[in-house]
Amino acid sequence: MEANHSLTPAPRIRPSPRSKLIMILTLLWRFKAFYIMLLPGVIYFIIFRYFPMYGVIIAFKDFAILDGITGSSWVNPWYKHFQDFYESPYFSQLLTNTLLISLYKLIWGTLPPIVLAVLLNECRVRWLKSIVQTLTYMPHFLSWVIIFGILLTLFSQNGGLINRWIVEAGGTSIPFLTSTDYFRSILVGSEVWQNLGWGAIIYLAAMAGIDPTLYEAAKVDGASRLRMIWHITLPGIRSIIVLLFVLKLGHLLDAGFDQIYILYNIQVYPVADIIDTWVYRTGLQQLNFSLASAVGLFKSVIGLILVLGANRVAKKWGEGIW
Amino acid sequence: MVRGLDDKIFNTIIYIILGLCGLAAVLPILYVVSVSITPFGEVLRNGGFILFPREITFSAYRTLLTESNIPKAFQITVLITVIGTTVNLVLTGLMAYPLSRRNLPGRNFFLLMIVFTLLFSGGLIPTYLVVKSMGLLDSIWAMILPNAVWSFNVLIMKSFFEGLPEELFESARMDGAKEFRILLQIVAPLSVPVLLTVGLFYLVGHWNEFFQAIFYVTDRTLYPLQVVVREILMQSQQPLENAENMMPTQTMQMASVMIASLPVIVIYPFLQKHFTKGMLLGSIKG
Amino acid sequence: MKKLGTLLVAVSLAGALLTACSGGNGNNSPGNNPDATANPGAETEQPSSKPVKLDIIETGNNLPSPDKDIIKQELDKALNIDLNLTVYPAADDYNNQLNVRMSSGNFPDLFMVDRQQLIQFSKQGLLLDLTPYMDKLEQTVAFIGEDSVKKGMVDGKVYGISKSPQIPYNTLWIRKDWLDKLKLEVPTTVEQLASVAEAFTKNDPDGNGKPDTFGLTGGKLGAFSTVFGAFGVGMPGNFYEKDGKVVNSLHEPAMKDALAFIKNMIASGSVDPELLANSGLQHQEKAIKGQAGIVYIDWPNMTKEQFVEQIKTVNPNAEWLQIAAPSGVGGQFDGSWDIGAAPGRYAIPKALEKDPEKLQRVFDLLNYISNPDGGSLLVQFGVKDTHFTLEDGKPKMTDKAGEVGHSWLYQFTGRPEMEYLQAKFAAQSAAIEFANDQPRIEALNGFVDNPEGYNPADANRYLEEEIAKFIYDKRPITEYDDFIKTLETSMNYKALVDSAMEQLKALGYGS
Repeated sequence: MEANHSLTPAPRIRPSPRSKLIMILTLLWRFKAFYIMLLPGVIYFIIFRYFPMYGVIIAFKDFAILDGITGSSWVNPWYKHFQDFYESPYFSQLLTNTLLISLYKLIWGTLPPIVLAVLLNECRVRWLKSIVQTLTYMPHFLSWVIIFGILLTLFSQNGGLINRWIVEAGGTSIPFLTSTDYFRSILVGSEVWQNLGWGAIIYLAAMAGIDPTLYEAAKVDGASRLRMIWHITLPGIRSIIVLLFVLKLGHLLDAGFDQIYILYNIQVYPVADIIDTWVYRTGLQQLNFSLASAVGLFKSVIGLILVLGANRVAKKWGEGIW
Repeated sequence: MVRGLDDKIFNTIIYIILGLCGLAAVLPILYVVSVSITPFGEVLRNGGFILFPREITFSAYRTLLTESNIPKAFQITVLITVIGTTVNLVLTGLMAYPLSRRNLPGRNFFLLMIVFTLLFSGGLIPTYLVVKSMGLLDSIWAMILPNAVWSFNVLIMKSFFEGLPEELFESARMDGAKEFRILLQIVAPLSVPVLLTVGLFYLVGHWNEFFQAIFYVTDRTLYPLQVVVREILMQSQQPLENAENMMPTQTMQMASVMIASLPVIVIYPFLQKHFTKGMLLGSIKG
Repeated sequence: MKKLGTLLVAVSLAGALLTACSGGNGNNSPGNNPDATANPGAETEQPSSKPVKLDIIETGNNLPSPDKDIIKQELDKALNIDLNLTVYPAADDYNNQLNVRMSSGNFPDLFMVDRQQLIQFSKQGLLLDLTPYMDKLEQTVAFIGEDSVKKGMVDGKVYGISKSPQIPYNTLWIRKDWLDKLKLEVPTTVEQLASVAEAFTKNDPDGNGKPDTFGLTGGKLGAFSTVFGAFGVGMPGNFYEKDGKVVNSLHEPAMKDALAFIKNMIASGSVDPELLANSGLQHQEKAIKGQAGIVYIDWPNMTKEQFVEQIKTVNPNAEWLQIAAPSGVGGQFDGSWDIGAAPGRYAIPKALEKDPEKLQRVFDLLNYISNPDGGSLLVQFGVKDTHFTLEDGKPKMTDKAGEVGHSWLYQFTGRPEMEYLQAKFAAQSAAIEFANDQPRIEALNGFVDNPEGYNPADANRYLEEEIAKFIYDKRPITEYDDFIKTLETSMNYKALVDSAMEQLKALGYGS
């Protein structure tokens, strides 16, 4: 953690030190109820989130289980594990794949749920709304193992439903799952499918908070429904869109290990192998925890920079997280 | 009249798109359901693809509900979900409300502290050591406390609270209301959609919990549902090492998925109607 | 307005009530099983002492709860222990659990390790050096054999108990009814194998008028085990002895020919196009569904009742025939069999040194399950006269055997593989012997430990990826030598090869 954040914020004016202290204390005292509310949560964060953070130092050590995290010896040079990652012949490919897959997922994972939420919000037929809302929510509960099974039934080159149609129509079957041309689309598509309805929930909740009088006033003014969506609904959920987007940016280097690990195969590695799958094969399977930790730290730092930067931009629109 | 026509076209487009979304979601689900109630030999005979079962058997469900650890695991999962979600909501609400007050001294510090944990974590081993030193191993609390607050949900809730009109708080404070009362009696009732949303996120999180269970619990009688389901699913992903290993059929796998997810699926429609009740806010303002 | 407040109160009350309820049954200490402790030691030496609790973890599945676990109850009774076995279905989950427990000093008393873990843990001083205790493990050593003891050694010291060796299960299986329909003979050479596979693809063997079948499938490159064998080479990356020298299959001139042959098979369209993506049991499923006519697979997945039933449901006329490896210019080998690999190994934490009584119980357990006159039969077949009977000294399973179907989870020292399988899978015994009798190249990879500075993940990826390119004709085989060069330099494969030669020489291979 950054040292300059470890104190409560500095006051703006600078009178004598004594009166300054009193001023701070009175200020804090005024907010005591709030601090009491924060206390249980902060204690939780300290115990379960911050205390274990000393674990990141193994990124700079040769972790030996018996010596423990603090007892293991420092690695020489201190950046050795980072270097191992950087010097992998696959480094640039891993980075490209991770960024590309992640960006696709960021875009396709953000827009469709918003559109779905808007459509559901506009839907005047109660039962249709309820049914579609529930149906699109269901895929979220299928694990990737099951979705892989579904994808095979649909896209397998032999016996997959779609290829059966193609062949029956006189075409040649397409290697959807083993070709570098289609694999990323399969990844992004299946993720969008899985999370469409789930992702819409939060936007629907945000829309429920929009003041209905705004719509009524707009109606009186003769605004079309598209205009109302554009001028009332979307601005009404803007802050939540920005919040989610900023937080997702922090995980730009994640790209979805669980999904890719289950779906990928040797023939699509050039487009599908991401940082996390590499770390899994190199670090975790070979018991090199320090390497895994170093790459994790690398990802976190990039994520932090992205979040700080995005928040700064968002602040200019008045939607920053802090 | 022109507007009415426009409206009709607009509605039709919406219904068509929604219908397509629903269809895209339901067909694979239908496949899962169908496979779960079809004898596996029959599934294979149809090339592995079945949408409308011709031969129905509930034997997979019967086996799972009588011969596996699922009934016991189900109880554990319900217990974790109820206690866990309660703890989560209380703690999250208590954090989100103060943080939604823009004039709170130290607000940015606390927010950064929360965002920071979204990106950095100490890793498995030190977290395990904390859980162990607190004596939580092999208890249901090991599956609840380590995730008592999700940073993400605090930020969501805080963002919603920020949207509440400032005048509400001012008038309440003018009346001499204490902050705890404001939170409980003004903020909470006005925030039903977000409380339900965040509650749903937590609930589903607990329901799908297996990671912590595998880590912190070795007592099989404390295993939640997803651990048992995972055991069934993972077997199909690994090469057969032992001749005596019984591979669960796809029928069995799908049935286990159905049993494990049906309860959280059926509660959703009941939550939905509260999402549209945004009128509350308007009525208070007006 | 007050609704939510009351709701919250109600929910938290419900929560509190549930917690209260759970206090009774939820927090029972693990393995505190009344059945197991009810009659403390009717047959034990120290009837007065309390049972010693033993914590064991391994990968596995379908372990019943302690009250239904007859094997556990019998072991508890016989050894005055309270055995708490935990199994993890996914290897990753298991490894995570093992790592956190080792790091936190919460050591299990006996746990499964792979070779890599054995080396690392022993070097870090986490494992008990069993060398001084070998006399206490006499029964175990006799059971697993000296060769298996060696597989648990690191730098000349025994740190792990390896299971007794396994036997190979894999062979080629072919659709006899398809052969008959197309009036073809069982292939005996690789050329015939290729042409039968092609006929299965193009001549509509299932007679449905659709081009929906193909010849060969299998789990990834393993499908071609017999083809590599026919060219006299092991699987890519195998080390083995040839003409008195240790070689790596990649360096063999015949490897290029084998790859070219496979490339032609694939080009003819007669091989499962998603072969390299087959995970788990997808190849078996394709065979059962009637998509593939030849599959390289283990006998359990073709002959166990469950699967035979599935095969017959799909097509009552389907008949799978187990066939010998086809021969070729390099001989006739059913792929390779790693004689250095152990089916599993278990280690004891060094910390147990300080608890001699418990350590003794672990040894007792290992010896007991390795004793043909003691518990060996129990962990193989269950309780005598309940789950199996002895006829002329040969075990025969009864119809209650299903109760102890999980007994293999307790075979920490393995089992006499052939006799065991013959008894447990009496109906499959011909297939078992057939698979075991196939000639195979004896690979030595199991004896080779990765040298420092060699990243097997990158090298393996490159190796698999380029082999895939060669056989799918995405890279001309003329570039094979370039491939080897890149593999050895950029991927540091040379370090592995050099180190392997040295290690194997030290073990007496190739000299």
